[in-house]
Amino acid sequence: MPSLTPPVPKLPIYGQPSSDGRRHWQSLDALAAEPATAPSPEFPEGADSPPDGLARRTFLQILGASTALASLDACRPPRQKIIPYVRPPEKPLLPNTAVHYASALTLNGYATGVLVTSYDGRPTKVEGNPDHPSSLGGVGMHELATLLDLYDPRRAKGFRRGQSTLAYRSLLRELSALAATHQADGGARLRFLLGANASPLLAELKKRIQQRFPRARFHAYEAAGHDAEREGARLAFGRALDVRHRLDEARVLLSLDADFLCHGPDGLRLAREFSAHRESGPEMSRLYVAEAHLSVTGAAADHRFRLKPSEVLGFGRAVAARLASTHGLGALAPLVGPTRLAREANAVADDLFRSRGRSLVLAGSRQPAAVHALAHALNAALGNAGRTVEYAPAVYDEATGPGELAALAADAAAGKIDTLVITAANPVYTAPGDVDLAAALAKVPNTIYLALREDETSPRCTWNLAAAHPFETWGDARGHDGTVSIVQPLIQPLFESLSEVEVLASFVDAADAGAWTILRESWQRRRGGGNFAGDWDRWLARGVVPDTATVAEPAAPRFDAVAAAVRAAPASAAGLEASFVPDTKLLDGRFAENAWLQELPDPITKITWDNAAYLAPATAKKLGVENGSKVELRLGGNKIEAAVWTVPGHAEDVVTLPLGYGRRRAGPVGTGVGFDVAPLRTAATPWFAPGLAVAPLGRAKHAFAPTQEHFSMEGRDIALLFDAKAFGPEKIEHLRGPVPTIQKPVDYSKEPYKWGMGIDLTKCTGCSSCAVACQAENNIPVVGKEQVLRSREMNWLRIDRYFTGSPEDPQLVAQPMMCQHCETAPCEYVCPVNATVHSDEGLNEMVYNRCVGTRYCSNNCPYKVRRFNFLDYRGDMSPTEKMVMNPDVTVRTRGVMEKCSYCVQRIERARIGSRVEGRKIKDGEFTTACAQACPANAIVFGNLADPESAVSKLHQSERRYDVLHELGTRPRTAYLVRLRNPNPELT
Amino acid sequence: MATYVLAEFKDEAALCAAARRMRELGQKQLDAYSPVPVHGIDEALGLPKSKVPLIALIGGLSGAVGGYVMQWWMNGVDYPLNVANRGAHAPPANIPITFESAILLASIAIVLAVILLSGLPRLHHPVFDVEGFRTASLDGLWLSAEVPAAEGEGVVRELQKLGATQVERVAEEQR
Amino acid sequence: MSATRTNTALDRKGLDELEGAPVLVGRPSDKELTHELFQPVWGEMRRGWLALFGICVGVSGLLFAAIGYTFAKGIGAWGNNIPVAWGFGIINFVWWIGIGHAGTLISAILLLFQQKWRTSINRFAEAMTLFAVMQALLFPLIHLGRPQFFWWLFPYPSTLGVWPNFKSPLLWDVFAVSTYFTVSLLFWYVGLLPDLAALRDSSKKRGARIAYGIFALGWKGSAKAWRHYRIAYLLLAGLATPLVLSVHTIVSFDFAVSQLPGWHTTIFPPYFVAGAIFSGFAMVLTLIIPARKVFHFEHVITQRHLDNMAKVLLATGLMVSYGYMCEHFIAWYSGNKYESFVFFQTRQRGPFAPVYWLMMFCNVIVPQIFWSKRLRENLMVVWVASILVNVGMWTERFNIIVTSLHRDFLPSSWAMYRPTWVDWSIFVGTLGFFGALFLLFLRFVPSVSASEVKELRRELDHEAHAIAHPPAHGVGRGG
Repeated sequence: MPSLTPPVPKLPIYGQPSSDGRRHWQSLDALAAEPATAPSPEFPEGADSPPDGLARRTFLQILGASTALASLDACRPPRQKIIPYVRPPEKPLLPNTAVHYASALTLNGYATGVLVTSYDGRPTKVEGNPDHPSSLGGVGMHELATLLDLYDPRRAKGFRRGQSTLAYRSLLRELSALAATHQADGGARLRFLLGANASPLLAELKKRIQQRFPRARFHAYEAAGHDAEREGARLAFGRALDVRHRLDEARVLLSLDADFLCHGPDGLRLAREFSAHRESGPEMSRLYVAEAHLSVTGAAADHRFRLKPSEVLGFGRAVAARLASTHGLGALAPLVGPTRLAREANAVADDLFRSRGRSLVLAGSRQPAAVHALAHALNAALGNAGRTVEYAPAVYDEATGPGELAALAADAAAGKIDTLVITAANPVYTAPGDVDLAAALAKVPNTIYLALREDETSPRCTWNLAAAHPFETWGDARGHDGTVSIVQPLIQPLFESLSEVEVLASFVDAADAGAWTILRESWQRRRGGGNFAGDWDRWLARGVVPDTATVAEPAAPRFDAVAAAVRAAPASAAGLEASFVPDTKLLDGRFAENAWLQELPDPITKITWDNAAYLAPATAKKLGVENGSKVELRLGGNKIEAAVWTVPGHAEDVVTLPLGYGRRRAGPVGTGVGFDVAPLRTAATPWFAPGLAVAPLGRAKHAFAPTQEHFSMEGRDIALLFDAKAFGPEKIEHLRGPVPTIQKPVDYSKEPYKWGMGIDLTKCTGCSSCAVACQAENNIPVVGKEQVLRSREMNWLRIDRYFTGSPEDPQLVAQPMMCQHCETAPCEYVCPVNATVHSDEGLNEMVYNRCVGTRYCSNNCPYKVRRFNFLDYRGDMSPTEKMVMNPDVTVRTRGVMEKCSYCVQRIERARIGSRVEGRKIKDGEFTTACAQACPANAIVFGNLADPESAVSKLHQSERRYDVLHELGTRPRTAYLVRLRNPNPELT
Repeated sequence: MATYVLAEFKDEAALCAAARRMRELGQKQLDAYSPVPVHGIDEALGLPKSKVPLIALIGGLSGAVGGYVMQWWMNGVDYPLNVANRGAHAPPANIPITFESAILLASIAIVLAVILLSGLPRLHHPVFDVEGFRTASLDGLWLSAEVPAAEGEGVVRELQKLGATQVERVAEEQR
Repeated sequence: MSATRTNTALDRKGLDELEGAPVLVGRPSDKELTHELFQPVWGEMRRGWLALFGICVGVSGLLFAAIGYTFAKGIGAWGNNIPVAWGFGIINFVWWIGIGHAGTLISAILLLFQQKWRTSINRFAEAMTLFAVMQALLFPLIHLGRPQFFWWLFPYPSTLGVWPNFKSPLLWDVFAVSTYFTVSLLFWYVGLLPDLAALRDSSKKRGARIAYGIFALGWKGSAKAWRHYRIAYLLLAGLATPLVLSVHTIVSFDFAVSQLPGWHTTIFPPYFVAGAIFSGFAMVLTLIIPARKVFHFEHVITQRHLDNMAKVLLATGLMVSYGYMCEHFIAWYSGNKYESFVFFQTRQRGPFAPVYWLMMFCNVIVPQIFWSKRLRENLMVVWVASILVNVGMWTERFNIIVTSLHRDFLPSSWAMYRPTWVDWSIFVGTLGFFGALFLLFLRFVPSVSASEVKELRRELDHEAHAIAHPPAHGVGRGG
């Protein structure tokens, strides 16, 4: 294996000394802590340096798949760069030791910093990077699930031109040859269609290509892009600015159709800042949301105004009107307009004004530029600018909307293009109904498509190149605030593939150097000065390049321009309105082949393996349809078929259609799942349009597979919701404290550790990151729709969603529910073979190899959190699929029970670490996968024996209660009641 | 070498009478055969009380004690576990199995006792050579005396005198 | 003996009240009885028997095919899920065990109470018990997620070092059911010994003689053996009586000891036992009515027997109804919101409500018809009713297990339960397997105990002679 031989500078590891000896810190505590002594005492001398040890063997396994495909000339530098094992390893590199590497994942143009856990050279888990401004340590479901894509054996492999396959080198030769043919006319007939990406390296490459081909053109396309924000800023401020919200300053928030807690480049950050101020008291923030479909943010709102997407602008104008008329903000006078929710609008306006300077108006990326401009005007008038909202030069400013795609398609159809390089995500599928990209591509002699998987676009292209996974390539990216991260690979490409950087580089004959060299040189140039290597290692190790965030600048909106735009915006029309949303899980469909996300219940509707035409119960009644009814949807000239699902709290006369489903070429996982709604979209009205016609199609029902079928609490004290003002500890006295029992409680006071968990329902938004994190951490299988229909899903951690109040305007509570680790666990005494017993530290332990599968424990579990392997859900996994497994967690066989273990493997790792250093485990030294992932810090895990620990504090909180307390199970997981902060004027 | 003398009688009274008479004459090795228990035959043959109840009692007690001790030792002593906060040794939970094992061992003891005490299983017995003796399990009533070959004649005559409907002699096969 | 005296007196009183319906018609001689009761064994093989047997074997084939499929694919082949982790498997287990109770009850308890009318039906009932319990024993094994490790339920020194958990009702079950099967088998076999000997001695063919001879262990009906035998049989009856009560009590603990609303209730032990006897007698009637007709046993298994069993159905049916009443009353009276929800919402109005109301009809309404003598005497009516009761008892177990589980504490985990074709095949298959075993029993063993009927005849003679001074003999087996 040539790739293994020559020793080379190893890749700096997050939180470990870099080759230049300086230490990189993982977090502030880590910085304070002493460096670990290596080699570790718990291993005998020499055990840590096996020339043919576990490390290399695993690595060979890893390479197995790719070497089969890769011909020798496909070996390319700098393979060795990412192999830490070729040198006698330090402590963290011992076999089967977790190593964390910092990297970044780019979605929709902007990056989120992540830490990737790697065992013996294979990434097994993604965490948030606490040092990255877009993450702050939290991580979203998409970053987590990307890991599964990496090991998907159905990924595209190798390179094809027509029918002939190409090796890496020959591909590069062919590409530069092709590029040369465009030299003559300055690339007039050369086009690029890229996805949105703020990567400095890509920007530089684009510039170099433009220099060589002055007349070549770059297009960008995102099915769910952020154009409207930039346009809105341009409207209001006359230049492209990024809007940066500072929720830690905001007390009253008005969201104009903005799902900011879940979507958007800074969703994780905003969720954390928002939840930080959901504490009872005068400082508790208040959130108003005006939206049609019930979004995660809407579910967290104190007041929701159910409006058609087209009515949102009107609502904003009414707020402006009130501010102008009653509160004398004259600047807003030209913006005013009517709304049908006048009373609410006035109350919101008064509230915003009361806390002006500490209030905030946010506009959703689906809303047109006018709404964003209006939001800027309102914030300016309310004196929020510079305090709760900042403006900075746009990190990325290119049109990525369907308009661009339409223009490109037109040119292609007109035969103006000879070579088209596509790296955008599956444009043929995501293209709006009125853009026939497929036909247009047929007119282009050379269409070069770089994609992770074979999809709808592949067969339309003459060149199909397998894209390398972000964990396999070098590159860079920028976060929502411009902070640069170096994207470093965690593993050799499992399959013959290359990166976007290499493709573009080959058009300036630079590809041969390889992505690593191109990237390094570009940054060396950019930085200048000496000791680049040191900085470079530091950047990699920490995951961010310091001082690269764009600087906020003062910006004043031009009210007249805003007013013009607002007035020009079309008024809301009567009748049914179609509203398109990027699906919470699959976004624009790029995750359709990700089984984790497909099986993840939708945060609101709990539906798995499907999207649906969502509508309000009243609207459904009016249309004579019910859950599962198949309908035909007609909009403009186009029509699609879909099945409906009613959502309490959904706005009436609106049908919400999530993108990303109904894929036609998405492998065994994604093909034919759900309904493709893209054909109804048009380039002009990509997000919502009036005049939707819904026609029921017969009696046949579509079988939806929700994991929760009953959304009422039946008047039981399960997930408690109180108005902050009305709440007092006496309200939950009966749900806490000791219960009478004939069994003398076991005394845990002697134990140094007493593990427990606290979950703050006020902070929890139900975003479901924890569920995916749990799945990744604990090797939880995916069972498929048919098994979910039989209610055999395996998620150890489920998020229960309860609705209270009227179905028109319900209150929502999300309740993460997993094993409560009851001290008197009902599951234990019924097991005939002692397969589930209690540990000294109070864990309810499931002994897989002792379980015979009577399932009695599940029957006797009042929380029904136990999961059973009814079938062999592992089947025969390919070698690559096996690599995603966490080596610390047993893979369960058919016929055994399983459940949340409080991440016992993490407890034990921490215990080993602490024993090696002869100390106790410190609070916050480790936590469970769900708690670590949670962007809102709603889940806290730790040692109840330590009264100072964060979890002990939660358990002592006056909001603490136990679910099903009266049963006397004495759960170790405590819940904190959900508080909302409604506006008295609206209740 | 012994001989069995078999005599069939027409009713129970005759059978009992004959049995009593033979005993007076000093015959020890007497037995009676009938499809159903013949009332009064025990007294007539002077059979002692059965030991089966005692054996049953022993079996039952050992079952109960064994059952409880097993549970106490296995869960309480050898491998104690914290199961749902209940004590490792939980007497109330051990009652059912104690009871069941008592019944089980008692029953097994009884059945073994009745079989072994009755000299079973013995699939072949000299008396089966008498074709007529087949009726013993259907509708006949038989009396048998095991005597030395020499005394055979006398016993036969005696039994005929006592009103046996038929008398047979069968020699025990060589051992 | 004095005991006998009073008892026989009692019987006579009982007899009079029964308007003289005899337990044995006529006074057939031992010869006649032997010939007649062994007729099914020595007689020609009937075409009807063969046909029925063929069908039952076929259906048993379905059973074992379905079990094989389950083992191959995993327990997921059944409809079970979370929250309904127990489905048909445990329903059938409890149902069959219940049916298995009548046999021992008839032969043991009725023996202790010296009920003459038991004599000609007890073997029949005991056989039914054995075969029913065999069906029941299948389920705890095949419903496991990992049946290959079923033996971990037994307390043996394993390499894991760990022992079974004696706090688990499921383990009590293992001991109770296996004990019950063993004891029933012994009891049945001991009772069979004299007849096996009789078969040996009445056999015309050498093969049969050897076969029965082996099973007869060389029984000669010697006085020495009889004296052990009689007391042993009585003792076994004495032990079987508390056993039969304990078994279904322990089965009910599987539910009563849990904390699931609808399971967690103290009425279960008595109410399960009553239900067991209820369904057991129903099954005896379902089987004995046609058998009696086919083998012309009308004057051995007389109207009196059927009449008594119908009355037992009525009595136990009333007990079961009382059990239902208590459950609902306590659910309301305790004010426990979860329990009242199960009994007044889930069961009566939930998706499985039809099953609930079917149960109420079959177990509460149907038995009431037995108040009427005319209906008790109409065999067709009794037979149909007995079948309805069996259906009712099955639905009762469905209600207890599935309906309670599918909607428990947290509404978020509620879900529906849908049995698969495998569930149904296994259920129907056990019926076929049971039938096959029973037909074999009818063919190769006298289904009415010849020796006991002979004894019964003698006693009736004695009574006829000596009403004033009853015979001075021991209790005997039939009393």
